Amino acid sequence: MRLSDLLRVSILQLVRHRRRYWGVMLAIALGTAGFITIITMGRDLKENFNRDLELLGRATLIKVYFEKLPAYSHQRFNESTLEALRHLTGVRSVSLAVHAWTQSNHQGQLYPVTIFGVDESFWEVCGLSSQKGKLHNLEDNTVHKRAIVLGPELARTLFGNDNVVGSKLEIQENLYTVTGVLKDVGLGDLRQFSFIPFSTAQDRIQGISPANRIYLRCLTWDDVEKVAPKIPKVIQASQFVQGLKVEVAWDQVNRVKAVAWWVELFIYSSVAATLILGGAGIWTVMMAAVRSRTREIGLKKAMGAEDQAIMAQFLAEAVCLSFTASLAGSFLGLVAVEVTSILINSHPGQGLFIICVAMGLLVAVVLGVAAGLYPSLQASRMEVVSAIRYE
Amino acid sequence: MNSLNPPEQANGRPLIQVERLSKHYSNGRGVIPVLRGINLKVNPGEMVAVMGPSGSGKSTLLFILGLLLPASSGNYQFLGQDVLNLTRGDQAEFRRRRVGFVFQNCDLFENSTVYENLEFPLVYAKVDRQERPGRIAAALEKVNLGHRIYHPANQLSGGERQRVAVARALVNHPRVILADEPTGQLDRQHGNMVLEHFAQIVASGDTALVIVTHDGQVAERCHRVFSMEDGILYEN
Repeated sequence: MRLSDLLRVSILQLVRHRRRYWGVMLAIALGTAGFITIITMGRDLKENFNRDLELLGRATLIKVYFEKLPAYSHQRFNESTLEALRHLTGVRSVSLAVHAWTQSNHQGQLYPVTIFGVDESFWEVCGLSSQKGKLHNLEDNTVHKRAIVLGPELARTLFGNDNVVGSKLEIQENLYTVTGVLKDVGLGDLRQFSFIPFSTAQDRIQGISPANRIYLRCLTWDDVEKVAPKIPKVIQASQFVQGLKVEVAWDQVNRVKAVAWWVELFIYSSVAATLILGGAGIWTVMMAAVRSRTREIGLKKAMGAEDQAIMAQFLAEAVCLSFTASLAGSFLGLVAVEVTSILINSHPGQGLFIICVAMGLLVAVVLGVAAGLYPSLQASRMEVVSAIRYE
Repeated sequence: MNSLNPPEQANGRPLIQVERLSKHYSNGRGVIPVLRGINLKVNPGEMVAVMGPSGSGKSTLLFILGLLLPASSGNYQFLGQDVLNLTRGDQAEFRRRRVGFVFQNCDLFENSTVYENLEFPLVYAKVDRQERPGRIAAALEKVNLGHRIYHPANQLSGGERQRVAVARALVNHPRVILADEPTGQLDRQHGNMVLEHFAQIVASGDTALVIVTHDGQVAERCHRVFSMEDGILYEN
């Protein structure tokens, strides 16, 4: 039997018996769509989940600083070191900070404050946003603006409330305009801190530390394990330093990973279960097809069909069934990926989608062959006379 | 195991020559004989009827002649070649190239058109796609059903269905047509029509017909009539 005839006959059989097959096709299509969506969008979803998770904890934030010993106190990180860290695989963004402890003066009231000089990346790195006003941007750093962002608790301590955007605060005889107040979610100690542009801090704050603190945000919690051990090597390759400390919230990373592992296990199990059900469905409908078409098999053998031709026909039907369902699933997957991309504002790689579709179709062929093999063997081994006489 | 010879002319030889052919089944408690020492010779262009009561072994003989069932013992030569010991693949080839079957129940593929029903034997014989429409049309013309070529099989009348089955048996130009009660489910008029088609086909001289029937009127139209009783074949 020629391949073109085999495919044509199999597709015709599927079309003519479509009512028998649609349930199985739906299961396989949904399984394939789920597989494609999860694989294609998995990393983007993880990144988004990660970003949101920063509100609750600091699982992917790595802090790099020097040991607090007099011998190391003069050391600072170079711009080239920062650049090298930015290029590490798995790093989303990097920020350099300076800090000092000083006093603020508001209407003659003196109050001790911890002040941070931060660059424009700091907010993204630490997952911070403002509830009032705005956060420092590149321009504020470029013009050495005397602007200050307050932690919400500090704002309430100094001014009695947090509607303080536009208010003035004196630090070391310089007046700063309050331009923003941080959102009071998951801030920890930062509630009591104040933040001015990095350049302004270096210009105007006496006793400011050298640039000895780097905050580094990884793309996902999986990246933390890979990035953290590389940091000392990258820094040493760029500048000579001593007493380097890399701080990772391992406890949080491990807890998040454990939760994510269970979620992933659940999702993959669901997809696998759908595909297994699809495979079992193919097996069942093909067995039923062999039974209901017993006379047809006998007739075809009487016409001179060889055992292999009968086997090939039922196997081709099973493969066409799962392949067509998987093709429909790929289309559904494409729609799901597009919709999810819009919802989470992400742009997954096209190459990954194509690989997933190819894998989905390959799995469908394997599933079709595996599930259709036994029914096809049964059909091919039928004795002609008993098949013809089957009622 | 033998292999099947290429198709050849009869050159005066019988198409079918069966000698001392026996078939029995074992059921664990003993042996049940179905055919006992059958001798049969069928020449090209001959119409042969086998009559007998139900269970006498008529259909079993037909199935053995079409290599659908193995014989227990005896000889079976088709155009001088021993065909009882062919491999499974060669048996299929024998059915493709030499035999056309017509069964009692007008067994067509219900979800297919008339064209597709006739195309299957050509598909298995690996006939070129371009050649198929001509052969299918020619076979349908022989049974006066050329106008039904693309009709769904399940919308045909009983007589038309049996004529399509005859056309399907003819499409691969077989040397022998083996028909098991081909008019059993047809009224007299349609039965006669089918027999008329058989007579015309056999009249060409190359093809023979072996027909199993209960119907004496069907047997009357054949050149020779055999009776089967308890697995023994007698020529009337």
